[in-house]
Amino acid sequence: MSGTGTIPLAERRWSLLVTVLAFALPVVFVLVPLAIFLGYSFFSVDQGTIVHTLSLGNYVRFFTDPIFLPVFWNTIVLCLSVAAICILLAYPAAYFLTTLKGRWRYALLMLLLVPLLMSYVIKIYAIRSILGLNGFLNKALVGLGILQEPSTLFVFNMNAILLTLTLLLIPFAILPIFLSLERIPQVLLRASDDLGASGLQTFLRITLPLSLPGVASAASFVFVLAIGDFLTPQMVGGISGFTFGRILYSQFGTAYNWPFGAALSVALAVVVIAAILVGERFGRNRGTAI
Amino acid sequence: MTALPRLSTVFLAAITTLVAVLLYSPLAVPIVSSFFTIAHGNVDWSSPTLATYVALAENHDILAALRTTLIVGVCTVILSVVSGTLLALYYHSRRSGRTLLQFIIFLPFLMPPIISGLALLIFFREIGLERSLLTVVIGHTVFVLAIVYRTVLMRLQSMSRTLVEASYDLGATGWQTFWRIVLPNLSSAMVGGAILAFALSFDETMITILVTGTQSTLPVRLWAMMRLGFSPDINALVALILMFTVLLCVLAARFLIPRQVATERT
Repeated sequence: MSGTGTIPLAERRWSLLVTVLAFALPVVFVLVPLAIFLGYSFFSVDQGTIVHTLSLGNYVRFFTDPIFLPVFWNTIVLCLSVAAICILLAYPAAYFLTTLKGRWRYALLMLLLVPLLMSYVIKIYAIRSILGLNGFLNKALVGLGILQEPSTLFVFNMNAILLTLTLLLIPFAILPIFLSLERIPQVLLRASDDLGASGLQTFLRITLPLSLPGVASAASFVFVLAIGDFLTPQMVGGISGFTFGRILYSQFGTAYNWPFGAALSVALAVVVIAAILVGERFGRNRGTAI
Repeated sequence: MTALPRLSTVFLAAITTLVAVLLYSPLAVPIVSSFFTIAHGNVDWSSPTLATYVALAENHDILAALRTTLIVGVCTVILSVVSGTLLALYYHSRRSGRTLLQFIIFLPFLMPPIISGLALLIFFREIGLERSLLTVVIGHTVFVLAIVYRTVLMRLQSMSRTLVEASYDLGATGWQTFWRIVLPNLSSAMVGGAILAFALSFDETMITILVTGTQSTLPVRLWAMMRLGFSPDINALVALILMFTVLLCVLAARFLIPRQVATERT
């Protein structure tokens, strides 16, 4: 009897060991750092050293100082605009892809996704040179007669950040929209056609509503990637293009206030989690399963 | 989607072309300038040259950064494939706490890199670990783990249980079944995950900037150089890297498309 009793015990010990080992790496390198980071947001800095006493001072400063909240809102609006522009460009492109047959469809999809593989820093640099005073954009606009002379409208300001982030993030909008469009059963479209709906009616009442989950995922992706980016604004934003990511980053560099930076990160994380949850909530596919 | 009116097709094709132009123009700039000289926004098409490629071979600074990037990439791939596969097996074996574990694995991938990077930066300081290539590798591994884990787990879940059951029926032990049935079936997913992990590690910039020590990887080196402007040989490097990554992408696609299970063929 004792023999049968010890085997489950040994097995249970073994099972516990496996569980502990499995959790060790993710907990030590993900959960613990995030917990310490959260803890830091309640500390403060005095004369360049970090004071380990808990206080809500950083959060109070974030909400009361006239600098931070406006930048925070402006950044959110900026990233929402990036998401909106990305979707306006990506939706027609993704729709066009689904009208193509077989091989062409995926070849073109790959073609639109390949730019993601290109070095991120190099892309920012190239976009900056395109947008610059002597860049191709100004050359084209002057050549077309839209501008009288080259303009500095597109470099070292908020416009530059908006345009650069949009160019960088379009592929992230194309993929989810394409997938949701592709999942729409053809029978629904044919039924709509049979019942006498015009192409526009079919699009507005069948295709568009059924593709909205893809649009929601795309918006959430692009927004999260845009708001977390601190290098692009740093590089193309100049002095006037100040975003939340840059302020956060500067707390760990020139401003040297890690605890305050941690509190700003918590604010950023709240917005990101909200965006992911919204994307998740509306990104579910309903009614396409036939 | 049949019977589209001609006008809307033209409109859609035009927007798609516009998107393609927008996406490819930032790629075209360095590639064109790796072969031609550009001055004041005008390309001198008359004299193609490979001088930039020759200059690249002499640029020891950049080549050292490239080597560092490759070392970091290989270490990241090894660590993330081993731990990602083990974690996927753990999840698949329906042991306790697996949903929580999966959530923790996905966290660094969902959170903005600035948050993951800063959390690691503070963590390394708290435990007294100097910033070095080791901290960069840890940062990259934590970041790409979710991708490898997901790739392997998806293959595990699509694997037929009958294979494992047949192995046990034929008298194999748990280890024999693992080494001779499960692992070979996972291998292509592991290779695919490894390629994705390498590609992500190769271009990872934001976490790396925060946790890197004195030795910097290529993206960080490029980032530092960008303030001063690039020398022309960087364009040659970019053109080469793009070719290399497209090749990697084609390879990854090949490995990630599930093979026919061997038993079905005979």
